[in-house]
Amino acid sequence: MNISPDEAEEELAAIRAMVGRTRASIAGSGTSINLIVTGIVWLVGYTATQFLAQPAVIAVWIVAAVLGSIVASILGARVAKRVRTPLAGVRARQIALLWAVLVVYCAAAIAITWPLEGRQMTTLIILFVMVGQLAMGLLLSFATVWWTLPVSALVLAVHFLLPDLYYLGMGILVGGAMIVLGLYIRSRW
Amino acid sequence: MPELNETIHQPVRLRIMAALVTLSADEEVDFTYLRELLNVTDGNLGAHLRKLEEAGYIAVNKTFVERKPRTYVSATAAGRGVFREHVAALETILKSK
Repeated sequence: MNISPDEAEEELAAIRAMVGRTRASIAGSGTSINLIVTGIVWLVGYTATQFLAQPAVIAVWIVAAVLGSIVASILGARVAKRVRTPLAGVRARQIALLWAVLVVYCAAAIAITWPLEGRQMTTLIILFVMVGQLAMGLLLSFATVWWTLPVSALVLAVHFLLPDLYYLGMGILVGGAMIVLGLYIRSRW
Repeated sequence: MPELNETIHQPVRLRIMAALVTLSADEEVDFTYLRELLNVTDGNLGAHLRKLEEAGYIAVNKTFVERKPRTYVSATAAGRGVFREHVAALETILKSK
């Protein structure tokens, strides 16, 4: 079977286009969707915490968290039907166990150091979330493990150096980082 | 020297294999999703999948999800190997330009 170099070039371009399209389509799945949605919830919630009064803040957090969970569940379920793997169930159980253990450890840390200010408790929770994200990256072999380290360092810097803008800083840093990482995964994977 | 594969050379089958080898070895893709990704009809995709399955390049898994029939498709190890060789052959031809 013989073809010309021009035909070979066209065929290679078709392969590259298909690989890119498949990757882009799958990258809209679990990880990136969850990161973007969680990031938006955190950004909205912490920005509200910075600027609004207490009752309104609680309402904003509840609405953002519920809407975020619904959107992530619907989009995640849709993608899970498209591409499946025998390891998906095992991974899901590992991730659930990891987060359950982290919640218990975080609650224990808060109980030991109680009483805490809102800002201190928030920083503690965010640091546990960063550990969880780091462990998930290692568990799922993502090439995106690195982002939690600079974000954690910046969270600590804002905690100690910018107490007046703390919640806005958390919204932009943590929520923003999750949104940017989610978009990065979608565009580059 | 790597050789072109006549089965994979067909444009739709080439795109099917390109999509399937992009997935991890343990992943399989839903028929409907593949049809949308390739922008082809049910009949057209089914016919090309049969050819690839007969050649041993893909595996077709018919199953039930939430009591609804679903067909999942994945590239076999042989299919991945043949596709790699086909791409290598194309690159060799291109270098001779």
